[in-house]
Amino acid sequence: MDGKYSGLKKIVLHIVLLMGVFISIFPFYWLIVMSTNKTSDILRFPPKLIVGSEFFTNITNVLQNVDFFQAFSNTVFVSTTSAVAILFFCSLAGFTFAKFQFPGKKILFSLLLVTMMVPSQLSFIPSYIMISKIGWVDSFQALIVPGLANAFGIFWIKQYAEEAIHDSLLDAGRLDGCNHLRLYWNIGLPILRPALAFLGIFTFIGSWNDYLWPLVVLNDAAKYTLQVTLSQLNGIYNTDYGLIMAGTLLATLPLIILFIFFSRQFISGIAAGAVKD
Amino acid sequence: MNAANTKTVTNDIQPITQPDSKGKLWREIYKNRTLYLFISPFYILFIIFGLFPIFFSLYLSFHKWSGLGEMEFIGLKQFSYLLSDTIFWQSVGNTFAIWFLSTLPMLFGALVIAFLLNTPLLKFKGFYRTAFFVTNVTSIVAVTIIFKSIFGNNFGLLNYLLTTIGLEPVEWLNSSFLVKVVIASMIVWRWTGYNAIIYLAGLQSIPNDLYEAAKIDGANLVQMFFHITIPLLRPIILFTVVMTTIGSMQIFTEPQVLLGNTGGVGGAGNTITLYMYKQAFVDRQFGYAAVVSWALFVIIALFSFINWKVVQKTGSK
Amino acid sequence: MFRKVFSLLLMVSLVFSLAACSGSSKTSSDGKDSDGKVTLTLWYWNRSLDDALLAKVKEQFPNVNLKAQKIDGADYKTKLQTTLASGSGAPDIVALNDWVTEFLPNSDQFVNLLDMGADELKNQYLEWKWNYALTPDKKTLIALPIDTGPTALFYREDLFKQAGLPTDPAEVSAQLSTWEDYIKAGEKLKAATGVKMFDSINRVFTQYLSQSDSAFFDEKDKFIGDSGNVKKAWDLAMEVHDKDLSANLVDGTEWNAAMNNGKIASFIGAVWTKKILKDAAPDTAGKWRIARAPGGDGNNGGSFLGITKSSKHAKEAYKVISWLMNPENQLQAYKTMDLFPSTPSVYDDPSMSSEEEFFGNQNTTEIFTKSAENVKPRYFGPKFSTVNTFFGDQLTNVANKKLDPDKAWKDVQKQVKKELSR
Repeated sequence: MDGKYSGLKKIVLHIVLLMGVFISIFPFYWLIVMSTNKTSDILRFPPKLIVGSEFFTNITNVLQNVDFFQAFSNTVFVSTTSAVAILFFCSLAGFTFAKFQFPGKKILFSLLLVTMMVPSQLSFIPSYIMISKIGWVDSFQALIVPGLANAFGIFWIKQYAEEAIHDSLLDAGRLDGCNHLRLYWNIGLPILRPALAFLGIFTFIGSWNDYLWPLVVLNDAAKYTLQVTLSQLNGIYNTDYGLIMAGTLLATLPLIILFIFFSRQFISGIAAGAVKD
Repeated sequence: MNAANTKTVTNDIQPITQPDSKGKLWREIYKNRTLYLFISPFYILFIIFGLFPIFFSLYLSFHKWSGLGEMEFIGLKQFSYLLSDTIFWQSVGNTFAIWFLSTLPMLFGALVIAFLLNTPLLKFKGFYRTAFFVTNVTSIVAVTIIFKSIFGNNFGLLNYLLTTIGLEPVEWLNSSFLVKVVIASMIVWRWTGYNAIIYLAGLQSIPNDLYEAAKIDGANLVQMFFHITIPLLRPIILFTVVMTTIGSMQIFTEPQVLLGNTGGVGGAGNTITLYMYKQAFVDRQFGYAAVVSWALFVIIALFSFINWKVVQKTGSK
Repeated sequence: MFRKVFSLLLMVSLVFSLAACSGSSKTSSDGKDSDGKVTLTLWYWNRSLDDALLAKVKEQFPNVNLKAQKIDGADYKTKLQTTLASGSGAPDIVALNDWVTEFLPNSDQFVNLLDMGADELKNQYLEWKWNYALTPDKKTLIALPIDTGPTALFYREDLFKQAGLPTDPAEVSAQLSTWEDYIKAGEKLKAATGVKMFDSINRVFTQYLSQSDSAFFDEKDKFIGDSGNVKKAWDLAMEVHDKDLSANLVDGTEWNAAMNNGKIASFIGAVWTKKILKDAAPDTAGKWRIARAPGGDGNNGGSFLGITKSSKHAKEAYKVISWLMNPENQLQAYKTMDLFPSTPSVYDDPSMSSEEEFFGNQNTTEIFTKSAENVKPRYFGPKFSTVNTFFGDQLTNVANKKLDPDKAWKDVQKQVKKELSR
């Protein structure tokens, strides 16, 4: 139609987007630069801008100093379990809040809002006291279970369910004799899939990167998650930045790979799910 | 869809009517018992790990406690201390400043990116989407260390680049204003892509016919953006504004890793949560920390409410 | 299909959780393994203890199984606090940094080592260091000394030479024996080379104070920071600031880079700064020297090793920590980890001395041991860190030209008074 004109527009569009991409990606590049250099090169001025040759040295140091692979598998386990469990808990509750009425619904829901507005650091001590009373200190349950009561998760599912699941479908289901469980399982869940995918990945990432709570709760180094294990590399008096950055890179890479692998699915899934007829 | 059918079959689950006696209320509850069952797994955990800590901290706020030993009841003393605590009020100001510097650019940028990505026939969409979202994946600690080395006062990367084009280096972390810009930029960097994806989903659900009709009426891109896109996106925008507000008012890790527990030079980067953390775990004043966190709660609740009203109102045209 | 996957994943994760449930160690149990051994847990942060020594514990004490956990130093205190507050999950043995004085009011959380016979060990250690972990009534000792941080003057011999200042360590100590001399030398250096003598005014303040016989509180916990040593320390810092002799860099990447690029000519630092300097500024190797500091000897930092009250094996734990902290082992830790001993009997040991290339083949240990022996005992009190931070912050404000010195002084006094009132 507009031939050349729209071609120019397209190029400008790409340039603008690429500038944004550059801003997005640059810190990762910088991370790679730092993890491939010696600490003294990192601190040099003018700073060294290109990738160095210390990558293998730094990585080897990391692997020698901390039990990286154990921590890696711990983190995979904890994050996966958290993600799946949260999907279960939040979808059950979110679906119910979205599509059904019952006494006390408003109050129960507003309670959730309250907890989102209180910073989590303060609840460390009471949560820890709870955990130790149940005997869960130094366990994976302590990492997984408290996070399951995630208000954001319910919000997300509720909002999505309200729009995407039509009452008519539920009515049809009831006509067919579905009880509440079947309504959830056969009708609700499939429609919620994109929202679940998003929530799952988001929870996975959050759990993967969680640092302060696992540090406080875990005692046995064999149970450490990645972030805690890497923090062992921080000296009190001095910091080997090359080492730390290399460790950070190792901890971040799996997430990025996972994300790139799944992003097509869940991003397009969200879009598909949001389309109304 | 036949609208008449929607509410006909509601045998076991009925809309709530005013219970005129307690008996009726209990019957309602009993009728919906499956529903309560469904939300109970969540709520049981919630009561233990969500509500209990909150009540505990409420209790704590009336006591003086160093984390060990006895809790000393001192009533409202710590609340009145809070009112005259200049460091606290400074942290409130800082938190709002950071909110302002980050939320508006972030959400606006996210909208623009989403809009651009929504262009039909745009190639490499998948690549762009991934590239923008991936910023959310790294741990905040790692990101802060990276930004610290970019924005370093004397030897940071950015200052180096400035000197190569003949400008003076800037003391990013010492200036009261600029340090907030640095923190805000970390937040913007991290969350813009995330919000853009959410907006993108919303955009893709807006029917094209609306745009076609507007084009025929002679509207340009900007007009379409403000008169079609934004109003229809309102619920989603509302959601992101509230979520972002709640999140950015609780910023903690970025200033802590960037500047240390006191929020840097002149406390310019001290946020409310950082101040609370320092009171609790560095100064060992857990009672006072609880007071601070309740003050934060009130602030967030009020502010989110105001935000919500504002977005709602501007949309209703 | 999706739901099948979902339910499968759910089942798998439930199974895993149950498995993890049964597998979790019963940390609150007796701790006695089936072969009659005693298990002791120990918490420390990276480089606070010699890892090789910890490994040797099982040879020395065959009936003890020592599980040592490394925890990130920055959040160590948070973790310790939280655990102690909950009353369970605490380790048997715990390393404590110089914030140990904050825990003295809660000395009931720790085993009183005097009850375990620690008095007989007292003479092995530097007295001022020993007193640190002692309650004011001298009746409870909550931890044994690990390492110390005696201070000395680090200076760039080549830059001093350029400025016409003395270069031999003994001469430097003689001619720069007071702070006034030090500041004058700084002016001379600046005029001749443009390089700054001091890295930060915060350091001036801290080091002067650490050389003094008192800090912010007297032995009755009364605040004395509005006059005396604290005021003198402040005034010195202000003088350095007024004369623009400080590079205004506190430790961190900026400081490291400045050291490496020769922007700072000297600083008074603790012995553990040697390693930091070496890592930070390899390009300046061979150019640094150590001398007794202007103003006298002081101490920065150093940690302690204690036993928690909740430990079920206090006797065994005591045997382990008193062995770990005996003079021979402290000497060993110095050789491998640079942890400067708090046991003066090993100071003369030949293995402590060596010619250090980074310091132009000087034997720096001579200086640091003298310094360690001459540190004046000071009373810190439980509020030391909080108050110290206030002063530090205001000094930084002045250094960055945000506040004028008089206002900063008034502000910090106000802050402290307010803090102490609650």
